Amino acid sequence: MRIRTTAAVAAMSSLALLTGCGAADMTKQASPFANAQGSRTVTLSVQSWVGAQSNVAVAQYILEHELGYRVDTVQVDEVPAWDALSQGRVDALLEDWGHPEQEQRYVKDKKTIAPGGELGVTGHIGWFVPTYFAEKHPDVTDWKNLDKYADQFRTPESGSKGQLMDGSPSYVTNDKALVKNLKLDYQVVFAGSEAAQITQMKQFAKEKKPFLTYWYTPQWLFEKVPMTEVKLPPYKEGCDADPEKVACAYPHTPLQKYLNADFAEKGGKAAAFLKKFKWTTEDQNEVSLMIADKKMTPEDAAKKWVDSHKSTWKKWLS
Amino acid sequence: MTEIPTLEPPTEQTMDSSTPVFSVEGLWKVFGPKAERVPADPELTALDPAELRARTGCTAAVRDVGFDVRKGEVFVVMGLSGSGKSTLVRCLTRLIEPTAGTIAIDGEDVRAMDRSRLRELRRHRAAMVFQHFGLLPHRTVIDNVAYGLEIQGMGKAERRERAAEVVAKVGLDGMEHRRPGQLSGGQQQRVGLARALAVDPEVLLFDEPFSALDPMIRRDMQEEVVRLHHEEGRTMVFITHDLQEALKLGDRIALMRGGRIVQLGTPEEIVGSPADDYVREFVRDVPREQVLTVRTAMRRPSADQDGSGPAVRPDATVSEAIEAVARAGAPARVMDKGRCVGVVDSDTLLGVVAGTEQTAPPGTVQPEEAV
Amino acid sequence: MATITASPPRVGLPALLKHRAVHKLLLLALAAAILVPLANARWASGTWPSALTVDFSEPLAKASDWIIDNRDSHPLFLYFFGHVSNVVVIAVRAVYLTLLAIGWAGVTALGALVAWRVAGVRLALGTAAAFLACGLLGMWVPTMQTLALMVAAVLASVVVGALLGLAAGLSDRMDRLLRPVLDTMQVLPAFAYLLPVVLVFGIGVPAAVLATVIYAAPPMARLTSLGLRGADKEVLEAVESLGSTARQRLLTARIPLARKELLLGLNQTIMMALSMAVIAAVIGAGGLGDRVYQALASVDVGAALAAGIPIVLLAVVLDRVTCAAGEKIGAEPEPHGGRGWLIALAGVVAVAVAGRLAGRLDWPDSWVVAIAEPVNRAVDWMTAHLYSGVPVIGGTADWAGHFTTWVLDPMRDGLQALPWWSVLLIVAALAWVIGTWRTALTAVLAMAAIGVLGVWKPSLDTLSQVLAAVAVTLVVGFATGVAAARSDRLERALRPVLDVFQTMPQFVYLIPVVALFGVGRAPAVAAAIVYALPAVVRITTQGLRQVDPAAMEASGSLGATSWQQLRQVQLPLARRALLLAVNQGLVLVLAVVVIGGLVGGGALGYDVVFGLAQGDLATGLVAGAAIVCLGLMLDRVTQPTERRAKKGA
Repeated sequence: MRIRTTAAVAAMSSLALLTGCGAADMTKQASPFANAQGSRTVTLSVQSWVGAQSNVAVAQYILEHELGYRVDTVQVDEVPAWDALSQGRVDALLEDWGHPEQEQRYVKDKKTIAPGGELGVTGHIGWFVPTYFAEKHPDVTDWKNLDKYADQFRTPESGSKGQLMDGSPSYVTNDKALVKNLKLDYQVVFAGSEAAQITQMKQFAKEKKPFLTYWYTPQWLFEKVPMTEVKLPPYKEGCDADPEKVACAYPHTPLQKYLNADFAEKGGKAAAFLKKFKWTTEDQNEVSLMIADKKMTPEDAAKKWVDSHKSTWKKWLS
Repeated sequence: MTEIPTLEPPTEQTMDSSTPVFSVEGLWKVFGPKAERVPADPELTALDPAELRARTGCTAAVRDVGFDVRKGEVFVVMGLSGSGKSTLVRCLTRLIEPTAGTIAIDGEDVRAMDRSRLRELRRHRAAMVFQHFGLLPHRTVIDNVAYGLEIQGMGKAERRERAAEVVAKVGLDGMEHRRPGQLSGGQQQRVGLARALAVDPEVLLFDEPFSALDPMIRRDMQEEVVRLHHEEGRTMVFITHDLQEALKLGDRIALMRGGRIVQLGTPEEIVGSPADDYVREFVRDVPREQVLTVRTAMRRPSADQDGSGPAVRPDATVSEAIEAVARAGAPARVMDKGRCVGVVDSDTLLGVVAGTEQTAPPGTVQPEEAV
Repeated sequence: MATITASPPRVGLPALLKHRAVHKLLLLALAAAILVPLANARWASGTWPSALTVDFSEPLAKASDWIIDNRDSHPLFLYFFGHVSNVVVIAVRAVYLTLLAIGWAGVTALGALVAWRVAGVRLALGTAAAFLACGLLGMWVPTMQTLALMVAAVLASVVVGALLGLAAGLSDRMDRLLRPVLDTMQVLPAFAYLLPVVLVFGIGVPAAVLATVIYAAPPMARLTSLGLRGADKEVLEAVESLGSTARQRLLTARIPLARKELLLGLNQTIMMALSMAVIAAVIGAGGLGDRVYQALASVDVGAALAAGIPIVLLAVVLDRVTCAAGEKIGAEPEPHGGRGWLIALAGVVAVAVAGRLAGRLDWPDSWVVAIAEPVNRAVDWMTAHLYSGVPVIGGTADWAGHFTTWVLDPMRDGLQALPWWSVLLIVAALAWVIGTWRTALTAVLAMAAIGVLGVWKPSLDTLSQVLAAVAVTLVVGFATGVAAARSDRLERALRPVLDVFQTMPQFVYLIPVVALFGVGRAPAVAAAIVYALPAVVRITTQGLRQVDPAAMEASGSLGATSWQQLRQVQLPLARRALLLAVNQGLVLVLAVVVIGGLVGGGALGYDVVFGLAQGDLATGLVAGAAIVCLGLMLDRVTQPTERRAKKGA
């Protein structure tokens, strides 16, 4: 018993010694892997979709080769990324699809996250069918007619209903509520990841089979598999406020960048650069296509883009 | 047996042979719930083990045992497994806490000792050798032997030096840096013995030390103990279930059965005059001629025999006398301090071997002669 | 026949057992006959009645919000969790910076020389090769990050585990208190531990390290306690008889006597920590796991493999070196052990300084072999040619599709169509017949808790995947195990394979199955099968081999064929081992099936991932709790009356 108490006391006192006896705010801790070996490190969060990878790849390439930073990337999904950003474990989030709740909490209340301006790309989520199918059945592009085609969209996973394919669990989606509230004869099936979803879509496209999927623009896959959007009840400001009662389309969102507040202030050239980083949908798709379809490494793809678009990125450094 | 345990502090007493090293009286060890009520209740103490168990759920491993261990003697406690002998020896240094009774070492009450005094007793006054050796497998031979000294807080160099001497004494030179796992059983027990000797205890306690060994090695080890005893004259308490071993080593033997001592006496008394049928059955196959002395077998000398025939000492064994008688072809005289105290002839000697000779009842031999 | 029926005393033990089982079942049937109509009338049958569910998402979401809002202000966080988190960050950072400061050459030299001192030249070469391979694959920095995290987590686990083990080893009360908790913790899937720590610490390294500690400390605690309790009684008595104090006894005898168990505990702790440190990538652990996670998210098999190989190499090296250290115990100590260590240390310092002077601390970029591309090309080729439409045998995707359509779907639909009370009854019956009423009660309560949590359907989905995987695992595992038990050659050939497979972290198994079967439930099941198979084969082989040779000889002498021997002697006598194999199979399969959420396995595992990805901890925590309940239920249902000694991990 005595030994145990001694050990406990020793552990507690060493803990106190190590940390100092005062308060320790764990929301102000950097990643233990940051800024190693005296080099300046920027930690960027990567989301799992390729567009986000393209942003990060180009930013990383310029930070490393033009500004002399060391860049760590961490795979964090959007919502946790907000938390990580607030805690300083991540310095920047380059593509956010709109999280008003988080924005309220971190940007307005706590002021631990600073807005980093627009990315220059406008995102839009919707339901899509392949164009080859829409051409044959033009009325499928209105949600009211979807039930008519439920039979054709059936798969083993969806059972007796039509399949509405969703992707990664991290994506912004109201699909389950939509299917319920629009009283559609469909089953939402999660592919589990974007890559899985793309594989499936390509497979379907190869065999010219019909499918209905959750998808978004900008997305490089449109170049490979042309798709047409299904019109949902039109979006009105606030119609998606209650996730249980949503019955309208997704909005068009100008994608935003966010920086950790401290980093935004003291991040020097890196922070200034990331604030100015702004490109177009075409730029992003160009890089994405190289990564996803031509199977280039993100670094090579970024290099190729940077080499051929000097005028674009020179402005970010001024 | 009849001695009253010394209750005064031993300070004024000189340690002559009459002061027992261990003095045990009315010792009980009862296992089970509320064990302490058993020795106190005469009604319960009268019960046999099965009844006791049924009535109280308790088992009495040691029941009302008393004896003295004299300085310099080898005191053997013998009994079959389950007779309580191992429990008894553990009670002596309170490795097992006795339930009732008194134990004194050099007159000092062991049961009244506090923790530190008890540790002192275990560190310096009584060391034990165990049946399965109880060696620390992660230490070398020398560090095992020095372990007792280390416990006492002795410095490394000094204790190693002391340990090396003892290692040599038990015949393990050259093996100091082996691990116990690399030694044979006999060698391991030598390490166990050396570990006990290293602390230079007043008493050595042996708990069936050789029963796990092969017969040949067992004999070697027994001789080792005899040799050590001759050389150092250390007091020993020796637990065994082997009658041969008990007779060979013991100056006196306490024979235990069911937690009680059924007979306590010299080997000769045990073999020569068993106290009851159990003991008689026990010693039946013992070669009596090697245990009994001519003193038991002799008859009064008639006048004419005075001066003739070979002479034998009274404590010579019968088998020695047989050899003398056979060689001379005549009865032998038993000579004590130049005086003929008796005569043995082939008839009396044969009677001993056959067991038909009615030996003198116990008590006729004075205790001091048996030492 | 008449004589047999007329002589009840001749009923043998198995018949008696059956008898008892029948009794239990009758009793259960009676209870069911009374309760089921009641339950039916009240709540209707079919899926779990919504009247009996409690919605935890509201309070959980509130709790989660409260924590996020108060993390930088509440004293509990400022003065306790904040410090914990701080210490973790400081420790990991210190190790990481040290590793980077010694440079790649220094770290390789350090690893190799430690392996040399502890385990000999061969393992030293293996260790060096492993480290160099990590560098060649371009994974040097992630490897160091994982290593830094591991070092901190293992040290903490060992300290925590050893202290708990000491408490349990020395005090009977603590032992009674801790043992069931530790036993249960060992059967729970790693995935379930992630969410509670994220709730408190948020995503990041501190949460990852703490989850790792929680997962990896129990084996250390159990084995410490086991070692202390298993110490040779006579040695302890001998030590006491020499007048030692309690402290001396502990330090000079009890702990050294338990060193084999302590080292085994260290080995298991390291292996479990590695496994968890990789899975913890999901909550921001960084390092190799993060690379695998990123690659899996984009089904980039090549990149996943490049990060997966270093994990496997680390696992094998760490396992072999700690095992060798354990085996060395009790051998003759080397005469100049101290000098050897000195040489080793000098060597490391020399290499590190040389690396520093040469300015070559970072792994040179030009030395990286990019395997991702060729691997992906191979996978593409496979997808194009083997995936589907292969004549006669069909492609791998076809298999996966058929497995989903013909096995997984019917099982899931069947389970979900069962009335809820009948599921509880089946659980109760199985658990009671195999174990005791206690295990049955725990199992039923765990199952009921799943219903109350409101995740009945996804849990049954997960359960259907587990059952399908276990069925395949057992068929293949028993067959292989029987074959290995009958042929020494096969066993010898299998042993190294099993060794390697058993040391690999769960995460790694997801990589090849995604390449082969695409995404969905089938690959999750396949990964689970591959992960659980080694343990099942090993336990089966051991169980069959431990059958009393006298019984085998006797039956052989009576002229039994080897098939008869197997059926009538070996299998019945090895019943315990076989049951243990089933139990282990279930526990291991569940662990991987839930990770399968990352590759489209859906159900509970997906909910956890979803919870983490959306910051919707309420969903994640409920799913995590359901996983715990499912694990508990599966363990208890197959638990033999006595508790097994240790996990076959």
